[in-house]
Amino acid sequence: MKKIFYCLLLLASFSSCEKDDICDAATATTPRIIIEFYSTDATPVLKKVTNLKVTGDGMTDYFLFNDVSKIELPLKTTSDVTKFSLIMNSTDTATQNEDFIEFNYTRNDVFVSRACGFKTLFYLDATTPYSLTDSGLNDGIWIQNSTVITSNIETENETHIKIYY
Amino acid sequence: MLVPFFGLTQEKKKDSITPKIERYGIRFGADISKLARSFYDKNYKGLELVGDYRLTKRHYIAVELGNENKTTEDDYVNFTTKGTYFKAGFDYNSYDNWLDMRNMIFIGMRYGASSFSQTLNSYDIYNTTHYFNENSTVVLGEKYNGLSAQWIEVAFGMKAEVIHNIYVGFSVRFNKLMSNKKPDNFDNLYIPGFNRTYNGNFGVGFNYSVSYFLPLYKKSFKPVKKEEAVKKDKKTN
Repeated sequence: MKKIFYCLLLLASFSSCEKDDICDAATATTPRIIIEFYSTDATPVLKKVTNLKVTGDGMTDYFLFNDVSKIELPLKTTSDVTKFSLIMNSTDTATQNEDFIEFNYTRNDVFVSRACGFKTLFYLDATTPYSLTDSGLNDGIWIQNSTVITSNIETENETHIKIYY
Repeated sequence: MLVPFFGLTQEKKKDSITPKIERYGIRFGADISKLARSFYDKNYKGLELVGDYRLTKRHYIAVELGNENKTTEDDYVNFTTKGTYFKAGFDYNSYDNWLDMRNMIFIGMRYGASSFSQTLNSYDIYNTTHYFNENSTVVLGEKYNGLSAQWIEVAFGMKAEVIHNIYVGFSVRFNKLMSNKKPDNFDNLYIPGFNRTYNGNFGVGFNYSVSYFLPLYKKSFKPVKKEEAVKKDKKTN
C-alpha cells in the first residue's frame, strides 16, 4: 500500500514540468528591418559605414554602427510609419551628414507560442515603401540611391533594403 | 499442510471458510477539487461528474463528464477556454481487500473527447529590442468556436469506502492527445478535461472524487483451499 502511494506521489510531481515556458532566443520573433550599404560603382560592392548614428524620430536613445556594411533597425509595432535620422560620420562635425528615412508599411500579428506570444510582421507599402529626405542643415543628401530587395519583412535572415552611397 | 486462500489458520474442514460476498452496483459522484476551485479561483468555473459500474470482481466501467470555463493569464497571452468533455473507459482493481472491505487501488484507461471554444482576450507582441518603449499589449477579444480534441488517458488511483456506501477517490492521469482541432493563428493551450497542453501532446491531470455506491446485486463465492484445487486437478487429469 505504502509503495503504491509513493509511486503515485512521484508520478504526480511530473505535473510541474513546464518545458515550454521560456521563449528560446533562437525562435524567430518580431523581425528588424535589415539594410545593406553598397558603393555607387558600376558593379557595386559592400561598403562599410563610419560612425553611422541612427535615431528614431522623437527619441533620444540612438544606435551607433561603425565598420559594418549591414545594419538592423526595429520598426514600430503600434504604428504603420517609422522614421529614422541617419547621420554618417557622426563623430566628425566637419564631415557629418544627416538624412531621414521614413518607412510605410502594414502589419500582421502572428502567433508564435505560449512562451513567446505573438510577433509582428511588416509589409512595406507597394507604392511608397519609404521616403528619403534631407535634413534642413544644407549638408546635401548622402544616400545617393536605394532599392527594396524584399518588401516582406518576416525574418532577419535576408536583406530588405539596399542603400548606395 | 498447504496454505489456505486467505492466509488465516484453518482446521482441515471443508466448510470452515465463510463465503465472500461481493456487491455489484453503480457508483456516482463528483470531483470535489474542481468544485472547490470554482469557489477560490476567480478564473475558474468547473464541474465534473464521475461514475463507475462494476462488471466483474476486478473490472469496472468508468466515465467522467465535465464542463469547464477557465481564464488563463500567461505572460504573453490571456485567453478563456469554455467547453464540455466526456471520458469513458475501464478501471482494474489490483488491490486484494481483506475481510469485507471494499477499497480499490486501480489502474485504468480512458478515451476522452472535448468540444470547446477559445477566446483570445489580449496578447503581447514579443520584441527583442525595446527601443520605442511601446505598450505592446493588444486587446483583441476574438472568439474561436467549434474546436475539439480527443485523447487517451492512463489513470492510477485509489478509492476507499470511508463510511457505509460513501467512497473517496483520488487519481492521477497521464494524457496523450490523439486529435486536436486548433484555432487559426492561435493554439489550444488549455483543453477542458485534458488540462494544460505542453509541447509534444502530453498532459497530466488529477481527480479527487466523492461518490455514493448504489448496490444492485450481490455475488457470493467460496474461496477454494489450494489443497482442494490440487485434488480437483488430479481428478480431471
